[in-house]
Amino acid sequence: MGGWMFESLQHLINGFAVAGTIQNLSYCLLGAFVGTVIGVLPGIGPIAGIALLIPATYGLNATSAIIMLSGIYYGAMYGGSTTSILLNVPGETASVITCIDGYRMAQKGRAGQALAICAIGSFIAGTIAIFGLVFLAPPLADAALAFGPPEFFSLMVLGFIVLSNVTGKSLLKSLMMAVFGLIIGTIGLDPVAGDARFTYGSVSLLSGIEFVAVAIGLFGIGEILTNVSQPSELLDQKVIKPRLRELYPSLQDLKKSIGAIIRGTGIGFGVGLVPGPAPVIATYASYMTERKISKHPEEFGKGAIEGVAGPESANNAACQAAFIPLFVLGIPFAPPTAILLGALLIHGVSPGPLMIGQHPELFWGVVASMYIGNLILLVLNLPLVPLFANILRIPKRILLPLVILFCITGMFTVNNSIFDIWMILLFGVLGFLMRKWAYEGAPLLLALVLGPKLETAFRQSLMISRGDFGVFINRPISMVFLLATVIFLVFPIFKALFKKIRQGQISGA
Amino acid sequence: MKKGEIFSALVLFLFGAATVILSSKMEIGTFRKAGTGMFPFFLGILLMVLSGSLLLKIFFKNKKAPNDDESEIEAPEAKKQLVLFLCALVLTALFFDKLGYPLTSFLLMLSLLRILGIKQWGINILISAVAAAGSYFLFVQVLNIPMPKGWIGI
Repeated sequence: MGGWMFESLQHLINGFAVAGTIQNLSYCLLGAFVGTVIGVLPGIGPIAGIALLIPATYGLNATSAIIMLSGIYYGAMYGGSTTSILLNVPGETASVITCIDGYRMAQKGRAGQALAICAIGSFIAGTIAIFGLVFLAPPLADAALAFGPPEFFSLMVLGFIVLSNVTGKSLLKSLMMAVFGLIIGTIGLDPVAGDARFTYGSVSLLSGIEFVAVAIGLFGIGEILTNVSQPSELLDQKVIKPRLRELYPSLQDLKKSIGAIIRGTGIGFGVGLVPGPAPVIATYASYMTERKISKHPEEFGKGAIEGVAGPESANNAACQAAFIPLFVLGIPFAPPTAILLGALLIHGVSPGPLMIGQHPELFWGVVASMYIGNLILLVLNLPLVPLFANILRIPKRILLPLVILFCITGMFTVNNSIFDIWMILLFGVLGFLMRKWAYEGAPLLLALVLGPKLETAFRQSLMISRGDFGVFINRPISMVFLLATVIFLVFPIFKALFKKIRQGQISGA
Repeated sequence: MKKGEIFSALVLFLFGAATVILSSKMEIGTFRKAGTGMFPFFLGILLMVLSGSLLLKIFFKNKKAPNDDESEIEAPEAKKQLVLFLCALVLTALFFDKLGYPLTSFLLMLSLLRILGIKQWGINILISAVAAAGSYFLFVQVLNIPMPKGWIGI
């Protein structure tokens, strides 16, 4: 039983050797720093941030590229917590929960402690989570070898349904966005037969719609346009300035938080393995748990440190756990990991069950660098908090145009194509309209990235079964996924019906 | 909000229909050997079904509570700001090649800062110049990424 565990530890040590080279350390550092800045900046979040910096990794080998991009990912998570605490504005969706108690702590003059506990909690969560990865990834990869095209197809469908269920308020609208994304994903070359589809002679469209353009457009430009469309009073904000000597939590703080951190890690890791926007669910679940089991529930909402420590740890654990389905199955379940998948493909690495065996230095190098990244965030970013706070004080009027310039420039560097700039404008307007009319962007982006895989799995499954649709149901793993899909589809309808019946009973009686 | 919902659902419905029509012109093939057009064909049908359901849902909700008026309070200055902002972006895309990167980025910053309310030209020009020069230096000199030169030749 211990055989593969020992081997995994061996690989992990090798991974540290890979991640610990001066080169890769610098990329990790750069990524973490840039990521934090991106997380702190308004109008751009981890999704657009990672997408924008992919071209900067073109000259690097795959391992270094992913190390840097992953650094941006959790750097942005940390930056997002910073704006939540100092500004009561979530830097990205997973930091919404941190606003609740984090901002209250800041208002009471405890901003430093809140920020410190975020970093410490994330670090501890990351340390524990890495062991989870070490022990779970190889056996999961082995299990995934039994996956064939039908299993991949059903799992991806499940992932879409769960994501659409959890994101936004309307399952129907999210599903529409997913299908829309799948359709525009078919533009370009057919992944199985290689014929051109929907290109109508345009050379630019031959390679399909660039997912980086959609990411930057929907999540970058779209967000900025939404900001711009709000009345100008909202453009200026008040920032709380943390004092440097406060950046150390007291022993009492630590004692209070450690339970929340451990629990948050467990919750986050479990949720991270499951399809869906894991960090968001994880933070919410952790906050609810902490409030329920706390001896002083009335403190929550008024600056309870557990309300910050738990969710932040859960967030970090979920982000790390999300790497498992990404690398083991090649299926990302949330937009940031979808972008990372795109980056991997650009660098010629196709994640999947075989990858861990064939490219151990990539997987374990990235896992080790995640740990190093957590360490860097703890040690380096905390003292830099005043710098980030000052960035926040730059008026939005100046920051937003800078971000636009950065977006347009960054987009151009991907393909050197003006067509891509038109694309980000188009999807920027689309993103703005989607925010206005309550449609979610995550399913669209995920569909765009996964579309070719989904289609390939679909057609291959039918080729295997010679046209028999039963292939999806006759294979047990695939059937389990499809059953789960049906449950997730039907559940909201039952919930709504149940609510109506109950309301009818109350008003009737 | 409701007008937007109806409009968007209709547009998506038509998009689905267009997908169905266009993909039926491609080889659909059989289930045993799916052709290029099969996947988009079924996706188009699915989108039509979903958006049709949404339209029906809106229609029935409308019937039950017709007084449910969700009018939006939109400041007209904010709307103007947004339109001007978009115009600046479109102009940038149009002239990116011709004017070259440094000049375009300078003009872009200049116009966006003005649109967002920086009224003093001195500060505006200073920030725009620094931003344009800085990004030129970073991308073209340091990162060695080719940017359009325009007729100025930079």
